[in-house]
Amino acid sequence: MIVKVNKEEVRIFKGASAKHAILKYILMKKMDASSLDSIMVFDSKGHQIGDDAPLKEGQSITFKI
Amino acid sequence: MKRLFSILVVAILGLAQNVFAQNGVRASYKTDINIISVNDMHAAIDNMPKMAAIVDSLRAMDKSLMVISAGDNRTGSPVNDMYSDASFPMIALMNQMGFTCSAFGNHEFDSGLEGLARNINESAFPYICANIFADPQLGIQCEPYKFFNVKGVKICILGVVEAEFNGIPSTHPNNVKGIRFAPAEETIRKYMWLRDECDVFILLSHIGYDEDVEVAKKFPEFDLIIGGHSHTQIEGGEVHNGVLITQNENKLKKLTHTTLVVENGKVTGKSAKNIDVAGYTKQNVAAKCLADFFSSNPEFKRVLAQAETPFSSYEELGILMCDALKDFSGADIAYCNAGGVRYEDHPAGDFTVNDVLRLDPFGNSAVVVNVTGKQLRDMLIACKSQDSHGFPFTSGISCEVTYTDKQQSGVKDLKLFAPDGKPLDLKKKYKVIANSYAIITSDVPGEDQGEDINALTADILMKYLEKVKKVDYKGRKCLKEIY
Repeated sequence: MIVKVNKEEVRIFKGASAKHAILKYILMKKMDASSLDSIMVFDSKGHQIGDDAPLKEGQSITFKI
Repeated sequence: MKRLFSILVVAILGLAQNVFAQNGVRASYKTDINIISVNDMHAAIDNMPKMAAIVDSLRAMDKSLMVISAGDNRTGSPVNDMYSDASFPMIALMNQMGFTCSAFGNHEFDSGLEGLARNINESAFPYICANIFADPQLGIQCEPYKFFNVKGVKICILGVVEAEFNGIPSTHPNNVKGIRFAPAEETIRKYMWLRDECDVFILLSHIGYDEDVEVAKKFPEFDLIIGGHSHTQIEGGEVHNGVLITQNENKLKKLTHTTLVVENGKVTGKSAKNIDVAGYTKQNVAAKCLADFFSSNPEFKRVLAQAETPFSSYEELGILMCDALKDFSGADIAYCNAGGVRYEDHPAGDFTVNDVLRLDPFGNSAVVVNVTGKQLRDMLIACKSQDSHGFPFTSGISCEVTYTDKQQSGVKDLKLFAPDGKPLDLKKKYKVIANSYAIITSDVPGEDQGEDINALTADILMKYLEKVKKVDYKGRKCLKEIY
């Protein structure tokens, strides 16, 4: 499925959580994966969501470290 | 005489109020209904004594306090999920706290129907779910809706669970074999007649925030939607089309205290605020004792299998983990990232629950993907490039990897071999299983990125060890490394 992380498309397996998509994004961007320990994740409407939140096709999330 | 008359009047009024409420005649006075709601607790055992202390203090002010869960009470801590009677610790704590009811979340099904039936029997509170259809013989006792008489107010709670994973909740399909689910919205529409039968109409939902907002837009008849599934942290509550929606992030970091003001059979005021559970300093002593008891559970010493010979390398243990994945899924090939194998030796003798949790502590789930031999080859190289611990371990194939240098900074060549020793057909498609971390770091090509099969890799390994009873991996190799 395709989701958006910080406005960029990320292809990820069905049933992935927010943390999975963000890890993929971090690898795509060659960022430091250890920063995953201190992320804050938000849905498209600005609500904070848990990093284990299940994602669905087309969903947009953003994260802050 | 006067006193006796007064007592009689009060008694008759009280009785009438009760009877009227039960028969759907609306309450004709003003009162507050207090509700504590949680969702997606995911076995946050450590926060349960804090939640219990919050419930105590609110119950001291309102003994009719309702305590409601929007589902996914389990799955998230081995203390709960690996208990011999999976999920009993959370249920025991919820019973102790006096939960009013719970929705089914998709994870309530994670121990299969037999496990769920057992959990339902152990629960001192009812489960409410309208869009599940199970043969009564399966023991999945739940009610589509339930009336509660609170201070003479007739409250109706309707429950729904998400079914977006091929028409079933997000759990392994084997866990829900034999039961059917209907789409949530269709089900809700069918039950709208309940609005006329109650003073307060609540949807207990495990379908996610976006879907809750859609429901509120289409069904303003609800007074309140207690939501779950998407782990959305709503500040207090949000009103959409007149319907109050609440939900919190997962793991019981926060809960919601909702107050509904009911006057003459109608909700005339509603408000919701979050209470910080994780930061709460008081704990209920009984709940703390229970949580401590479950955390120090001898279950972790339970022997799953006997190691007939000692394990003496990451590779041997990695192959064991991959064999378990392959066996569980019926895949052709399994692999795991080298860094996902957390220790390199294990003595002959007992292989316990604790050994598995130390070996695979990350809570990774298993993902299945269909790829060609060539794509798998590229994926293994990509996986290695993200893992300083070494090349992935495999089952169903062996690998001959040539590195660019001693430091393994690059892969010059990779050959894959079938179990018969012949080169793997690179054009053929294979069903491949790996842990979720390995899949993400493998940069799966194409549109089909695979599917999470809703099973934790540690859980899969435990089941495999219990199945095979004896293991002997001495000298087993899946990898030849050339520099």
